[in-house]
Amino acid sequence: MIYQVSYVVIGGRHPGTIRNQEERPEVGDRVEFAGQTFEIVEVLEIIPPRGDFAYLHATCKPVER
Amino acid sequence: MVSTDLLKQVSIFSDLSGEQLARIASLCREETHDKGDVIVRENEPSKELYIIQEGTAAVVLGAPSLSGPTPILHLGKGQIFGEFSLVDRGLRSATVNATADGTILYVIDSDDFIKLCDEDNHIGYTVMRNIAADLSFKLRHYNLTWR
Repeated sequence: MIYQVSYVVIGGRHPGTIRNQEERPEVGDRVEFAGQTFEIVEVLEIIPPRGDFAYLHATCKPVER
Repeated sequence: MVSTDLLKQVSIFSDLSGEQLARIASLCREETHDKGDVIVRENEPSKELYIIQEGTAAVVLGAPSLSGPTPILHLGKGQIFGEFSLVDRGLRSATVNATADGTILYVIDSDDFIKLCDEDNHIGYTVMRNIAADLSFKLRHYNLTWR
């Protein structure tokens, strides 16, 4: 399964990112994009999978350094 | 020539056969960009669809300000941009910059792809359906950002 993941950053100040990955994102995972580190706080499956693709939205918060 | 195995990892080509993917692969050329390179510019004519095979890109809007143009989305592997060129043939809606050295893109000329869709209606229907779903996913992402 290929996971198309939309990383949504809490607060609306960061645009987030969308990317494909082979691992399903989980709450508590830390991810890096756009030069920052974020922690996933919520994973939503709003759209059903299609073919080899699953579509997820992962809400995340910046990790304070 | 671009590998069909790589195209299988791009959601807009989901549900296409190996032969159909090979026809699309024959239309692709590869480009490599480094961090900071402008790939497409807002308000320029749109002629190509881009697929990120490796690396990252940022979609930015508007004139540069004190803090620079406003990024509205970061895109990574397997994502597309420039799809509006296939849908409405309008001007580029945003500027897209590579944000990592060695960002590899597959580029498809819009006219070539439309011609292929006319020759093979199943490719046309499937890819356009998938592009609609991709745009929907991006809009949901945007809506969730402002939740």
